[in-house]
Amino acid sequence: MIQPEQLVEAEWAEWYRLTPAQRWLESEKLWEAFLILGGSLDPEPDTQSPFFDSRASRPRPAHGRSGVRLVRRGGV
Amino acid sequence: MGGQACVLYGAAEFSRDTDLVILADTGNLTRLRRALADLQAEVIAVPPFQIRHLRRGHAVHFRCLQPDLLRMRVDVMSRLRGVGQFAALWRRRTKVTLPGGFSFDVLSLPDLVLAKKTQRDKDWPMLRRLVEAHYFQGRDHPTSAQVRFWMRELRSPELLIEVARRHRSACERAVRRRPLLQYAMRGDLVALESALREEEDRERDADRRYWQPLRTELERLRRRRVRGA
Repeated sequence: MIQPEQLVEAEWAEWYRLTPAQRWLESEKLWEAFLILGGSLDPEPDTQSPFFDSRASRPRPAHGRSGVRLVRRGGV
Repeated sequence: MGGQACVLYGAAEFSRDTDLVILADTGNLTRLRRALADLQAEVIAVPPFQIRHLRRGHAVHFRCLQPDLLRMRVDVMSRLRGVGQFAALWRRRTKVTLPGGFSFDVLSLPDLVLAKKTQRDKDWPMLRRLVEAHYFQGRDHPTSAQVRFWMRELRSPELLIEVARRHRSACERAVRRRPLLQYAMRGDLVALESALREEEDRERDADRRYWQPLRTELERLRRRRVRGA
């Protein structure tokens, strides 16, 4: 039988094995790290979204740099 | 129902916003307005927060100004393409309980998978991981409903071949609904990958067609808002 590690990286395989409640708690830790690193909660423009408005003004982060976007790889 | 649900089901590790799917009736909207007021949430962009827009299938976008929430985004929808009415979604929902006892309701995995079949590139790797995680968790002692779900929705060619080998008769029944399973039964990886890409392209086209009239409405609302400003 195919093992998760044959299809995805070890970190993802480990994530697959958690329960939903465990994933929630782990994700909370990532949230904390994201905010400590100055990550912005303003979403990046998603040009493929049906809601995308190219003329909409976008708030800039207070520190003037682009926000931290992903902690590890699996952000949505 | 969106990114946070993807975290719970194992396809993502983190999501910055919160998507809610709600029953669009007057009483429920009143309750939601109250909750959003607690978050100091303001509507951004169009459409405005009105029941008719939710019933048409639009999303209403909020930004929370409550200081602790750091401008978090909340998106509210009532209709999703490709899935049933709210009553059916509610019946099939998943309840997640955290160790402290707090619990909340999430879109069921099969409904989430259908809702994620969009025109956006980023949803497709998510879809693959959603079903992969479910398969790896359940494959040792699957129910027939789980097997049928994997036959319908798995997008990892290697796993489709494995599931076709392990559940041959279920696969023979499912091939009428999803013809690409014939390649899984034959173990033809190349043909299967190609058929999965074609399947994805069809879904993306269907999503674009679904949104075309709604995008036109959004554009009209934007113009009206600019004129009214």
